[in-house]
Formats: sequence, structure tokens, C-alpha cells
Amino acid sequence: MERTPSIHVPACGLPGTPLPEPESEDVLRARLAASSVAIVGCGGLGSNVAAMLLRSGVRTLILIDFDVVEQSNLNRQLFFRDQIGRPKTEALAETLRRIDPGARLTLVQERVTAETLVEFVTGADVIVEAVDRAETKAMVLDTCLDGLPGTPIVTASGLAGYGSANEILTDELADGLYLVGDLASDVSAGLPLLASRVMVAAAHEAHEVIRLLLGVLEP
Amino acid sequence: MKVDVALFAYLSDCQPDGLGGRHARAFDLVEGTTVAHVIADLALPDQPRIVFVNNRHAAEDSTLHEGDRLAIFPPVAGG
Repeated sequence: MERTPSIHVPACGLPGTPLPEPESEDVLRARLAASSVAIVGCGGLGSNVAAMLLRSGVRTLILIDFDVVEQSNLNRQLFFRDQIGRPKTEALAETLRRIDPGARLTLVQERVTAETLVEFVTGADVIVEAVDRAETKAMVLDTCLDGLPGTPIVTASGLAGYGSANEILTDELADGLYLVGDLASDVSAGLPLLASRVMVAAAHEAHEVIRLLLGVLEP
Repeated sequence: MKVDVALFAYLSDCQPDGLGGRHARAFDLVEGTTVAHVIADLALPDQPRIVFVNNRHAAEDSTLHEGDRLAIFPPVAGG
């Protein structure tokens, strides 16, 4: 059902702080609508995380990716044939605005480095690591954990292949760092990235972001 | 001094007891041991890794102390 803006804006508190419970859907959605999430990498994880967050009510996203859409991305990433060759950030923003024309999207079409990343993600309530290479994942985590120690990060590791989807879990690995995946399944010839398992990991990432924004503390 | 060491994912094969698993093992270390010393002694592969001491991100040149909990996590590719 289409939600129309109401004159009464429910008090929803700050992202990340506990909500008084039980709360109405209006209050939950208002909290998400007041939140901002940075997504580093807009491939199989990031493009799908962005759509799930937007559908859940998060309307402010920082989308970061240097790459352009390729044919080989279409097996798991939220892009379409007519977007091949276009920057991923731009193509994704176009799709997201078809879901929510009022979405506030900041597009960063750059290959981030340890020197530039903090500036791009500052102000986000939660950061999502959604890059592909292990070296880049380590750089993103090292940089954000050091540069923005108060901002939670959701990361993913171990999502390749056709192992059981039930092996993909969400864990609080350390203070402020939430890890999704089976931890082990590296991409290789026998362990390709399959849409179904990548989507499971993306859904775990998006859902952990939502829980963090709603102030849920993991056990 | 006693330090608990947890190694995640494929790094757990490097635990001295050879049993694998992500649970922490108690190490008896000399004063002044750094994270880098532990990494070298365990011969961890030269792959991307993130280091935590007492649940907080730490540098590899950090000096460990009695009762610390060291955890090392190696991200793998895919996204």
C-alpha cells in the first residue's frame, strides 16, 4: 500500500537508540526514514541491500562504487541489460527512484581508498561493506573502524558457492562490527557467486542495518 | 602472561593444537609480545586480515597484556 506523508510526524528518536516498545508501524518507519546509510560497493550485495533498505523505509543512502554495469553482473546484481556500460551508482539510483521518487541519494562514483573513504561515509548512521575483493574489505573495515569508531559497520564474508543458505549467519564480531556470511566460502572456480546465496547475504546485511537503526542490541 | 587467541575461518587451521574452530585458546606469552609476534609465531598466511584486541580494532604493532583477548579475522572475496 502506498504510504502518504502524514501531517503528524511521530517522535521516533535518534537512529540507533532503543525504541520504547511496543511501537506502531508509523514510529518504526519514521525512525528508518530519518536514518542515513552508506553502502560501499554497489554490486551483488550493495545493489540489493540498497533496494531492501529503501523498501523498508530508509530514504537517505550514500551509494559508492567506481565501476560500470557489465553483462556479467546481471546474474546477481540489481541491474538490467539496458544499463550496461553506465556507472553502477547512476543505474542503481535510477532503479531506486522508480521505487521511491523522493529518495535522497548521494552518488559517489569513485574507487575509494583509505585516504578518501571516511569523508564519503561521514554522517551515515550505519556503514555497509559490500565490496568484492578481500583486500578491499579489509581496507574498508580498517579505515572505518579507526576513522569512525562510533558508527556501526555491517560486513559480509563467505557467501560464494551452493552450500546451504542456512550456513549464512549474522554475528557481532567485535564492538560495532556485524559480520554476515559463512566466513569460509571464498570465490573460486567451484564456488561461483550465485544470485540466491548472494541475496541471502544481502538480506542479512540489510536486516542487520534495520535492527541497528531501530536500536536493537544483538545478544 | 595469559592471552586468549581466537582465529576465524581458514586461519583456525593455524592454532597450535591443530583442532581448528573459532573458539579462543589460552596462550602463554612473554611480556612485551605484540600482535605481530603472535602472527609470526603462528605463521599465519600473508592474506588480508583484521585484528581485534578485547573486541576493539587494533593495529598489528599493538602490545598485548595479561588477560587480553586477541581475535584475527580474514575476510574472503565475494560481493
